[in-house]
Amino acid sequence: MKNASLRRLSRRRRMINKAAHLFVLIVLALVWLVPVVFVLLSSFKTDAEMTLRKFSWLPLTWNFDNYVNAFSVPGYQWSRYFGNSTYVTIISVAGSIAFNSMAGYALARLKFRFRNAIFIVFLTGMMIPPQSIILPQFLIMNGIPLLGNNNWMGQGGSGLLNSLWAIIIPQLCGAFGIFMCRQFYLSFPQSLDDAARIDGCTEFKIYSKIYLPQSTTLLATLTIVKTISVWNDFFYPLIMTTTSDKRTVQLALQVFKGANTSRWNWIMAITLVTILPTLFIFMVAQKYFVQSVASSGMKN
Amino acid sequence: MPRLHKKKPSLERQNIGYLFVLPSGVIYLVFIIIPVIWTAVMSMTDYNLTTSSFVGLHNYATMLYDRVFQKALWNTVRYTLLTLLPSLAIGLALALLINRKFLGRGLFRAVFYMPHILSLVVASLAWNYIFSEVGILNQLIRGLGGARISWLTNPNLSMFCIVVASLWMVCGHYMILFLSGLQAIPEYLYEAASIDGANAWVKFFRVTLPMLAPTTFFVFITACINSFQVFGQVYIMTGGGPGNTTTTLAHQIYLNAFQYGKMGYASAIAVVLMVIILIITAINYRFGNGKE
Repeated sequence: MKNASLRRLSRRRRMINKAAHLFVLIVLALVWLVPVVFVLLSSFKTDAEMTLRKFSWLPLTWNFDNYVNAFSVPGYQWSRYFGNSTYVTIISVAGSIAFNSMAGYALARLKFRFRNAIFIVFLTGMMIPPQSIILPQFLIMNGIPLLGNNNWMGQGGSGLLNSLWAIIIPQLCGAFGIFMCRQFYLSFPQSLDDAARIDGCTEFKIYSKIYLPQSTTLLATLTIVKTISVWNDFFYPLIMTTTSDKRTVQLALQVFKGANTSRWNWIMAITLVTILPTLFIFMVAQKYFVQSVASSGMKN
Repeated sequence: MPRLHKKKPSLERQNIGYLFVLPSGVIYLVFIIIPVIWTAVMSMTDYNLTTSSFVGLHNYATMLYDRVFQKALWNTVRYTLLTLLPSLAIGLALALLINRKFLGRGLFRAVFYMPHILSLVVASLAWNYIFSEVGILNQLIRGLGGARISWLTNPNLSMFCIVVASLWMVCGHYMILFLSGLQAIPEYLYEAASIDGANAWVKFFRVTLPMLAPTTFFVFITACINSFQVFGQVYIMTGGGPGNTTTTLAHQIYLNAFQYGKMGYASAIAVVLMVIILIITAINYRFGNGKE
């Protein structure tokens, strides 16, 4: 009998423990969500309501016009910005993943002189803060020969500056992606390569016909992580572009905020629309994010 | 790891290896390696887009008297100190809360991680609005009968605002890192501790924390490096103000290079930032058991 009551007691304790755990989590999750919910609800408030003395979470009148009005402020071509961002993202992601996986494959599976030295140079590059080398990058873009009215010496014009390529090219050399690919390709047995070579496969065939089809999870992970990071980047667009027709969504958002500082309901409406693509990708592919972080972090 | 191979790869196969690395290598050379060297060289000139002459270490000497640079350096250190411990503690706490089996686990994890997938612009704008004159904080204060607080334009509060916004952005990321560290701790250690009569606290301090040390060190280094590079939040939320109370090294590089046209001086600050990051990385290689 004593045993039974003890068991009941411990079961009750476990219940309390569970409830407390869930309670703490819910409170924290609400704290985390406050900024997002606040942004969402504010984007529906009328101008008058934005400065009301009495605060209310919900808009008193749901003003869906904000979304129309914000996007029709003269001087902004939002469809163009979304187009630019999409273009930059697709090319950067496709290019960087092709380059990363090729380099990762070679560094893991092929033998050539200075292989480890090259890998270490790539890894070291990962540590260089982008802000500290942006100025030479800017000058190099400016001096690309024969483009943007430049002569063959790279002088006289503006090179690739103020073109979307100036945003795309720096995105193509991702040390992180090379690192991930190399670690992944290292995990295959040497006998796989040997067998393929005996069958007469060239190195490129081994890469494209054997390794690439095996790495769909890796490539999916890299695609998603890179898509988010390129879509979200505003530093390169800020530095590399000057005219408004070359803006990406992130840069345009920042410019719009600077010019309409008091129209927070409009700013928040546009903000929300810009995060829809990322939010969608995140919800569909959440497990890949977790995977990428988990596998990049602590591997020896 | 040494691998056995009978004969040296043929020259032809060697060259194919280079070919595979070539695209990444060229971009790397042109847009990372050359810029690093160029920055170091430019830091010893007074380059301003039109003229350039060698000035030796003059730019570095200027820093010793430049109050704005010193403020930026101190702000960067202050920002790092203020975000480092809280972000690690919150990240670990969230990971511990999530590292159980319960209904809705994935949902909670997504909520905490979500700020990390928002862009710096979006997250900074959201917090800019929250801290603005008409933001939720001031509306709540006014609702309670208080007077508005100018969060972002008050020199004593501006850095605090940036720190809070940054914590919201990064903690979920650290949570995931800690989570993968927690899941690598073998279950039998906890079972053994239970048999020895250890309670939850003892298990946490004697099993979880020691086993998590490599992860913690990795997160610590990541957080350090990220903090020293802070730029976006500053640029968007305060523009470095008021009175340079939130300007940082990265922000000063941007201003000097692209607003004031002092490219030589901007490069010198960039070198200082690079050296700081390299020192942190060197500490990582020396004491961490992380990457090769």
